[in-house]
Amino acid sequence: MKNLRVARRYAQALMESADAAKTVDATGRDLASIAAVLAGSRELRLLAASPVVRPVRKEAVFRELFGARVGKGTMQFLALVIARQREAHLGEIAEQFALLRDAKQGVVGVDVASAVALSAPQQEELTRALGRATGKTVRLRLTVDTAIRGGLVVRVGDTVLDASVRRQLELLKARFVQGGPSTN
Amino acid sequence: MSDVRPDEVSDILRRQLAGFEKEVDIYDVGTVLQIGDGVARVYGLSRALMSELVEFPHGVFGMVLNLEEDNVGCILFGESSKISEGDTVRRTGRVASMPVGDAMLGRVVNPLGQPIDGRGPVPTDTLAPIERKALGVIQRQPVKEPLQTGIKAVDGMIPIGRGQRELIIGDRQTGKTAIALDTIINQKFTHTAEAKKQGINPVYCIYVAVGQKSSTVAQVVDKLQQEGAMEYTTVIAATATDPAPMQFIAPYSGAALGEFFRDSRRHALVVYDDLTKQAQAYRQVSLLLRRPPGREAYPGDIFYLHSRLLERASKLSDELGGGSLTALPVIETQAGDVSAYIPTNVISITDGQIYLEPGMFNSGNRPAINVGISVSRVGGHAQIKAMKKVAGSLRIGLAQYRELEAFAKFGSDLDKSTLAQLKRGSHLVELLKQGQFVPMPVEKQVVALFAGTFGYLDEVPLEQVARYERELLEVMDLRHADILAAIAATKDIAPDVAEKLKEILKQFTDSFRASVKA
Repeated sequence: MKNLRVARRYAQALMESADAAKTVDATGRDLASIAAVLAGSRELRLLAASPVVRPVRKEAVFRELFGARVGKGTMQFLALVIARQREAHLGEIAEQFALLRDAKQGVVGVDVASAVALSAPQQEELTRALGRATGKTVRLRLTVDTAIRGGLVVRVGDTVLDASVRRQLELLKARFVQGGPSTN
Repeated sequence: MSDVRPDEVSDILRRQLAGFEKEVDIYDVGTVLQIGDGVARVYGLSRALMSELVEFPHGVFGMVLNLEEDNVGCILFGESSKISEGDTVRRTGRVASMPVGDAMLGRVVNPLGQPIDGRGPVPTDTLAPIERKALGVIQRQPVKEPLQTGIKAVDGMIPIGRGQRELIIGDRQTGKTAIALDTIINQKFTHTAEAKKQGINPVYCIYVAVGQKSSTVAQVVDKLQQEGAMEYTTVIAATATDPAPMQFIAPYSGAALGEFFRDSRRHALVVYDDLTKQAQAYRQVSLLLRRPPGREAYPGDIFYLHSRLLERASKLSDELGGGSLTALPVIETQAGDVSAYIPTNVISITDGQIYLEPGMFNSGNRPAINVGISVSRVGGHAQIKAMKKVAGSLRIGLAQYRELEAFAKFGSDLDKSTLAQLKRGSHLVELLKQGQFVPMPVEKQVVALFAGTFGYLDEVPLEQVARYERELLEVMDLRHADILAAIAATKDIAPDVAEKLKEILKQFTDSFRASVKA
């Protein structure tokens, strides 16, 4: 189970210090690159998650890897996380930090799944429409999912705007099958 | 019927489906973080409401029970093995509800209102939330109409009124369910034209089975069908095989259905059989949701669990139609321990209790009601006058008998009045015995108890009391139906009726004693 409570607290703390030092964007980029490296290297993930390796050794590894590539504040934060033995949550902390930064800057990430790839004008129009609806700057994350058969599935936060053909068919089925479980 | 042309069909289909094309379905989702043992933790669903229904994949529904900082705790009403971590959970936007309506009568349903008797869907169009705040003071009035159980010992000494909450408590195998079932069967009379003439309104019954064996529930349904009681009864079953969350909500579903009848100016009776198992089911889900355990590992709100359920029993004010919802909760004790946590809780919530004892049950005193510690705090106001007149001295007679019972072993050394009291008591105990599934109309109870408390029975040999009662009631039915009718109609024993009854009893007792001697 993900431990989001921990990740959120560390992300919040980092956000406050980065905000004070006016390095929110740089810190965000640093964290994203650390998360990307972690996601790409199984060995590093195992090292981070291992309770056997002593924190001092872990810090040395991380310092060698990232010391030259990330800001001073980020490196200090890494050292703190390792000292507190929360390094296994680094990926989640990066996710939460990105969410906090977006909330701060009025950016909302929107997942859009479509059956066929959207053209550039379509993307622009969708961004504009969603921007009007949410009142925020929209960052699209596009995926192509043929399973939805047609239409769009747009997810903003926890809310899904489902205009896919698959969903229409499901609703149609529910309407025809008497006594079937209601889907709305 | 004229032929339907194919193009007509496609036309209708097209019209029915019109408007579907541009619909955008908007819903909130979350992701399963952890699943198992009938509970799930879900990330997301940030706008979920307390006790809202949520839908998991494969048609499994759940209910929100915990709202936490970063996740939502749900209980599942289906198989948790079908769901895995990362599955999408969808909000339904409605709180857990129970379909209600007259179509529910005669059916066996699960706590979500889905039929489980294999007789197709239940055509209802109203949904009632299973959790509802009980009515306040203004909407109620004191209990005033009797709810006849058809059991002499109960109707005579522990009368139950419509809108009352009377606990049935006792060890396993002491006849708790039997009393509840007899009460349901006895409501058959209230649905007849004759009852209508006497101004007795029909009582609709709901039997909620919680954590029982499926075979036991099948037996109960079968018996109710045989007795013709299913026509006005709904059985809500959450058996031992159902997930604990189902067992936990079953009584609330029963209350929701009962409230439907109550709020439509009718009278309903709900039997919760039994609340001990419901408390255990709630304890299970609470512990799995990591709520802190308290006494006997029950969670802190276990009292509220039962009090909010039983508080929904009520007698509505005349402005609201005067409907009522009577509750008969059942509690099973371990080795007669009524001071355990759950029994003391429910005793303090209800308006009295019927206490059943294994010792009495085994010695053949059935129903095994210990009338000494059984009470009904409000039903006395609802008892009919005729019954009050004959049963008033019944309680005292039995109390004196119990006090003197210890001396009975000394036999001859006792004075005359003590002997008379002992004799009266032993005959009354014998008279209160009653078989299962033979509820007795109240006017016959009055006649039988009249014979007992006015001493006509005293000279009958103890082992002949049952025959005396049976034959007396036969004679009343055959030759003196007018007396029975007068008692039923006036709900009282008028002085002239009393005189006639005394005359009849005197003659009958003389001839009966002659027949015994012969």
